[in-house]
Amino acid sequence: MGRFAGVLMLMSIAVFQLGAQAGRELEKGRQLFLGMCSRCHGVEGGGGEGPNLNRPVLSRAPDDQALAAVIRDGIPDRGMPRVRRFTDAELHAMVLYIRSLGRTAAVAIAGSPEKGKAVYQRSGCSSCHIIDGEGGSLGPELTSVGAHRAPDYLRQAVVDPAAALPRGVLPIPGRGFNEFLPVRVVTQDGREVRGIRVNEDSFTIQIRDQSNQLYSFRKSDIQTLEKEVGQSLMPDYQARIPGADLDDLVAYLASLGGAK
Amino acid sequence: MRIERFEVLSFFMAVSGAFAQVPYQRIAGADSNPSTWVTYSGNYQAQRFSQLDQINRQNVRQLKPSWVYQMRNSGIVETSPIVADGVMYITEPPSTATALDLRTGRPLWTYTPTIPRDVIIIGSPPVNRGVAILDNTVFFGTVNCHLIALDAKSGIVRWDTVVDDNKKGYYITAAPLAIDGKIIIGVSGAETGIRGFVDAYDAKTGKRIWRTWTVPGPGEPGSESWGGQSWQHGGGSTWVTGSYDPDLHLVYWGTGNPAPDWNDDTRPGDNLYTCSLLALDPDTGKIKWHFQFTPHDVHDWDSTEVPILFDADVQGRRRKVVSMANRNGFYYVLDRQTGEFITATAYVKQTWTDGLDAKGRPFARRDADPKVEGTLVYPAISGGANWWSPSYSPRTGLFYQATREMAGIYFKGDAEYKDGTAYAGGGGETKNGDDAYGAIRALEATTGKLRWEFKLLTPPLTGLLSTAGGLVFGGAEEGNFYALDAETGKPLWELQLGGAVRSPPVSFTLGGKQQIAVTAGTSLFVFGLP
Repeated sequence: MGRFAGVLMLMSIAVFQLGAQAGRELEKGRQLFLGMCSRCHGVEGGGGEGPNLNRPVLSRAPDDQALAAVIRDGIPDRGMPRVRRFTDAELHAMVLYIRSLGRTAAVAIAGSPEKGKAVYQRSGCSSCHIIDGEGGSLGPELTSVGAHRAPDYLRQAVVDPAAALPRGVLPIPGRGFNEFLPVRVVTQDGREVRGIRVNEDSFTIQIRDQSNQLYSFRKSDIQTLEKEVGQSLMPDYQARIPGADLDDLVAYLASLGGAK
Repeated sequence: MRIERFEVLSFFMAVSGAFAQVPYQRIAGADSNPSTWVTYSGNYQAQRFSQLDQINRQNVRQLKPSWVYQMRNSGIVETSPIVADGVMYITEPPSTATALDLRTGRPLWTYTPTIPRDVIIIGSPPVNRGVAILDNTVFFGTVNCHLIALDAKSGIVRWDTVVDDNKKGYYITAAPLAIDGKIIIGVSGAETGIRGFVDAYDAKTGKRIWRTWTVPGPGEPGSESWGGQSWQHGGGSTWVTGSYDPDLHLVYWGTGNPAPDWNDDTRPGDNLYTCSLLALDPDTGKIKWHFQFTPHDVHDWDSTEVPILFDADVQGRRRKVVSMANRNGFYYVLDRQTGEFITATAYVKQTWTDGLDAKGRPFARRDADPKVEGTLVYPAISGGANWWSPSYSPRTGLFYQATREMAGIYFKGDAEYKDGTAYAGGGGETKNGDDAYGAIRALEATTGKLRWEFKLLTPPLTGLLSTAGGLVFGGAEEGNFYALDAETGKPLWELQLGGAVRSPPVSFTLGGKQQIAVTAGTSLFVFGLP
């Protein structure tokens, strides 16, 4: 009996220690996540400019090994940088923490995706955005926007598009650059062009204007080059889409996961 | 005229085979033979200045490609070509040496050693910055840490020496420096916790003549600047080619960060001789003097930038000086006979120190130290400048440097030493894109005062070449290659080459006509006047 009780006690101590160690690892993972991931994925993985991680299956990281690889290497050309080198213990702690986020409930999205699709169609969004190959190409493609952006970010992008221009999702103009940045150019001979920056280098800039016409300038031929940081060519839809419709629209956009 | 005579002479030398192709004296006299480019930075003073003036401010707009060579491997190209006697010698990533016919760009030979599949390269991409030449032999280092000597005519191996154990993380990216009878080489690998060194090898046999550790062992001067056993894996790599003063008979070589880079828990003290410039006796390797730019570094402020030697009137006195645009954001001028600090000036925005004291020691801000949650610091992890070559023009007295204006977030992480694995203790993220920019800056070489700048869209990784034609050649990450007016910084010519320029330009002549060579992406371009 005594021996059995002793074994039980040892086992419970072991379980307790294991639990304490897992707790420490989880906390370590949380600290690392806060420093390196929360700016895009939200403080508790609720998402933002980057996708929310409160989901049981992450599309690019279906298992722990894949998740560790994504943390270690980033996702080139999808905005997710390789931040720094990790020890195996650090990687393990981050995997543990991010997996724990998958067990928390995602923020519920008010609104109906079906109704939101109708809002999208009648609001003229498709004149500038492509979904599944259909629509105009001045603005960002939205085919899989729900997989890349969290609902709050999508809402903000509709009501205040200038507040957060996307960065680093497209390979051009390149990591860290504002995409779809409005620019205003006045040429040496007085012509004015306003549009979005497509690409730029130290000597040239390429622009698409609101009618989607491409312009290419050498900077030496430009009198004024104004980068309108904090602005967007997309009108704000705050007043144009009433509250319930907005919920539906956000629900629709959040449902867009692209090809599986 | 003198140039053409020299080319005729070297033609006969090559045919007769009676003379060494590039004897030491020819490298020491590089400035009087500007038709060739016989050492990494053009001359031993590492000025990367060409005495050629055929291409100048008036005609640079007419530059046209003479030929283009496309490398066979993908990867980042940082090679600085060597040009002698009708042949250009380059390296291709990661560890291939190739000779090209200077007239056409057609390969004459190429040599790729067997690199183990499990080669350990931690801390940088698998790059190589070029070969050295001495007499009839070409020398280069490899990612598995060999130093290899090839017959310059055929590419056949003369000798192949293991510099150190790649299993411990040692590897080579630097171009060797050839001096009289010796090949000097440095190593990479501080991010795996190597103990750094500079080595000298007998050019004929490949036998090691001396090794100077950049981290002193117990009982040696400087060992008191390390806590516990931390010196054993203290870093201090030596991964960029240094310079040489034949008159003072001193080799100048920069040293890299202490290990672990961003976690200093185990290494209290100044961590000598990391983040320093060493003046070495080339006969013995003895450290004649040292200057530590960043004592107890926690930001990866390698001091492996190219040290440029020049003589100038400084504060009313003629002095032999060495200068460096350090990764930490300051431009330093030191007396190169004694190592005495003369002056330093921040050449980019920096927030890690409240300036420097009268001897050049920084008042490092502890609140700028890396943290688990990240610390925002200027400059970013790649520094204000880094391995890409600066240029000094004796004509203008200006020091030209490709500079980076960018903040970084520095993270402290775990560090646990295990042979051949990362021992970096954290890392960094850069605030790039529209938040950052670059600039080619011309500094008064004796003071560091900004004379002019030419802004670039993004922080560059380009080397620079200045010329007697009054030009500065440089590149950009977006593929632009351009010439600036050396006096004013005004852009005079530009061409889009389609890939990032990450190597330093060189100049030489072809059929008596000045050429400029540079790489972009994985192609090498040679330009000349029509």
